Amino acid sequence: MIRSLLVVSGHELRSRLRDGTALLLALVAPVALASLFGLALGGEDPPLRASIGIVDLDGGEFPTSVRREALATDELRDVLTLRDYDDEDQAGVAVDDGEIGAAIVFPPGFSDSVGAGEGGEVTVLTSDSTPLAGVIANSMVDQISALVEARTLAVRASLDAGVPADEVRLFVEENGAAGPTLTLDADPMAGGKVDGAVHYASGMAVLFAYLVVSTSTRGLLTDRQLGTLSRLRVAPVPRWTPVVGKGIVGFLLAMTSVCATWASSVLFFGLSWGDPLAVLALCGAHVLAATAITMLVAGNARTDAQADGYNLGIAFASGILGGSLVPLHALPDFLQALALFTPNGWTSTGLAGLAAGGDLASVAGPIGVVCLIAVVAGSLAALRFRKGLLG
Amino acid sequence: MTDALVCQDLTKRFDHHLAVDSISLTIARGEAYGLLGPNGAGKTTTISMLSGLLRPDAGSVHVAGHALAQDPRAAKARIGYVPQEIALYPELTGRENLRYFGRLYGLARRALQYRIAEVLDLVGLTGRADDKVGDYSGGMQRRINIGAALLHEPTLLILDEPTVGVDPQSRNAILEGVDELVAGGMSLLYTSHYMEEVERVCQRVGIIDKGRLVAEGTKRELVSRLGTSDRVELVLDGDLTAAADKLRAVAGVTEAVPTGTSSLRLLAEGSRHLLPTFIGAVEGVATITGVEITEPDLEAAFLHLTGSTLRD
Repeated sequence: MIRSLLVVSGHELRSRLRDGTALLLALVAPVALASLFGLALGGEDPPLRASIGIVDLDGGEFPTSVRREALATDELRDVLTLRDYDDEDQAGVAVDDGEIGAAIVFPPGFSDSVGAGEGGEVTVLTSDSTPLAGVIANSMVDQISALVEARTLAVRASLDAGVPADEVRLFVEENGAAGPTLTLDADPMAGGKVDGAVHYASGMAVLFAYLVVSTSTRGLLTDRQLGTLSRLRVAPVPRWTPVVGKGIVGFLLAMTSVCATWASSVLFFGLSWGDPLAVLALCGAHVLAATAITMLVAGNARTDAQADGYNLGIAFASGILGGSLVPLHALPDFLQALALFTPNGWTSTGLAGLAAGGDLASVAGPIGVVCLIAVVAGSLAALRFRKGLLG
Repeated sequence: MTDALVCQDLTKRFDHHLAVDSISLTIARGEAYGLLGPNGAGKTTTISMLSGLLRPDAGSVHVAGHALAQDPRAAKARIGYVPQEIALYPELTGRENLRYFGRLYGLARRALQYRIAEVLDLVGLTGRADDKVGDYSGGMQRRINIGAALLHEPTLLILDEPTVGVDPQSRNAILEGVDELVAGGMSLLYTSHYMEEVERVCQRVGIIDKGRLVAEGTKRELVSRLGTSDRVELVLDGDLTAAADKLRAVAGVTEAVPTGTSSLRLLAEGSRHLLPTFIGAVEGVATITGVEITEPDLEAAFLHLTGSTLRD
């Protein structure tokens, strides 16, 4: 099994490397385009938007202060929109409907609890489809937590030092009249700026990954036209060897293309795409989905030329819809909804979240959805192959 | 020693069309077997099932004792398949093509190099081994196409019309190569549109028509089914149906069938002597304007069994 896979993959790889257009597609074009966007847009601030809901069940100083501080922050003023909700359920529905990207819930008595040195917890509601809002909301809550911990510690220390509780409470109330001295980081998106250059570099990587994979999977149709697929099928190798062999090469070349584009944007423009492990995992899932979709195309197309046409159409349609070419927030709402049906939509959203400081856990949702797309497309492709190319 | 190929009750249906209907055949070790049939008779479907390209709906295939369905890798390792079309990578050289297909059959580096040299010599392409296959002539491509199926020294070589579209010189070279393989003891399943090729190469012939194996045997056995009857093609002016009725009444005529708007086919013994009788028999209903007499041969047997010529 392994030996025959190596033989087919080795042959496929040599064929792709001999073919100058494959290298052009895998390395030159995405790196050049990413560089072009890097030069044109490097350093520009992000055209990102995030809507976050506030559920104030406390009615005290903390929620008011958080709202005031967030909107007073230069970095967030143009990015953030805060909306009020009456309860957690209402906010949850709004998050699920995509009305807001995340929500922060202050429980009843939160401010009093903190003032009494008893600490407190806020709840954050997030959505996998809007990790950027989740990152911002979590960043805000991190700041709140740090402040709550410091204040709780101070109150407890005062009490332990023998200061009467009434005096401590009075002191807190007097000093907290204008709300807590909450200072939100000017750049809550730790880990680097999400600028246009990062968006377009990752967008090009994602777009070209699909095209690179398609050059290998279309090879199944070329083999059928040449008659060599018949030779492969009568050889004493497992039935799926041609498909898996070509899929592996397509996957590896596409990952190479993504990594080259990523590396070039880091090395030439000093950009950061965020947590490397998370970027790799998300791009890996995307390329897997691209491999499965191009296999599905190969299973349905009659000729390699027809497959090329389908693949170009799918690549650019999902690229445009999925934010690889045009940022998602710039698209009308209904197109943003359609983006959820493309791997590019989830991958772009995830990459934006990572560039904004998210970690592997923050993109677990997008990775899961993209893998699900891969499984569905792969299963359909397998069914087509059983009846067609390998039937 | 087990037979090279044993297939039993092989059946394949495409939607409502029964393409192959319970075909059973056996090819002994070292035997060359020709499979003949008109276009659409089910030859390609049968060969596809025998080589493992297509799964039969029913029936079994054993290659050198290995069941194709239960132990496909062992069975396939003993089959060499030469498809009808050239099935090679035109941008690769002849040697590179052979190396790739040889590796698929598990040939190791040294053994593969040795076999490639042997096969190139057998197909007469040693001098062109490092040229791209796309630059080969049609005949050379046919020869390397066969060579790619010989690398692993199969027990059974399946050749699906290996001489289609080649010039007479290349065709002759291919047939000489095939003769050499048969002489070397390789078992062969051979299909062709050229009856003379099958007659030359194969010891036994199976005739397939409408998905069924309608006859099988040596050339002599098949021809003997016609008895000693000649095949007579008559060209006539007049009422063909009435003429056929009158000719059937002639002693020695076993069959008289209209084959076109102005032709009849007869099977008759001693037809050369009966010609004046034929002319007299149709007098009044038709006039004979042309006659062609063919003595019994495989082509006549084929025509008799399938009702059409091989190239129809």
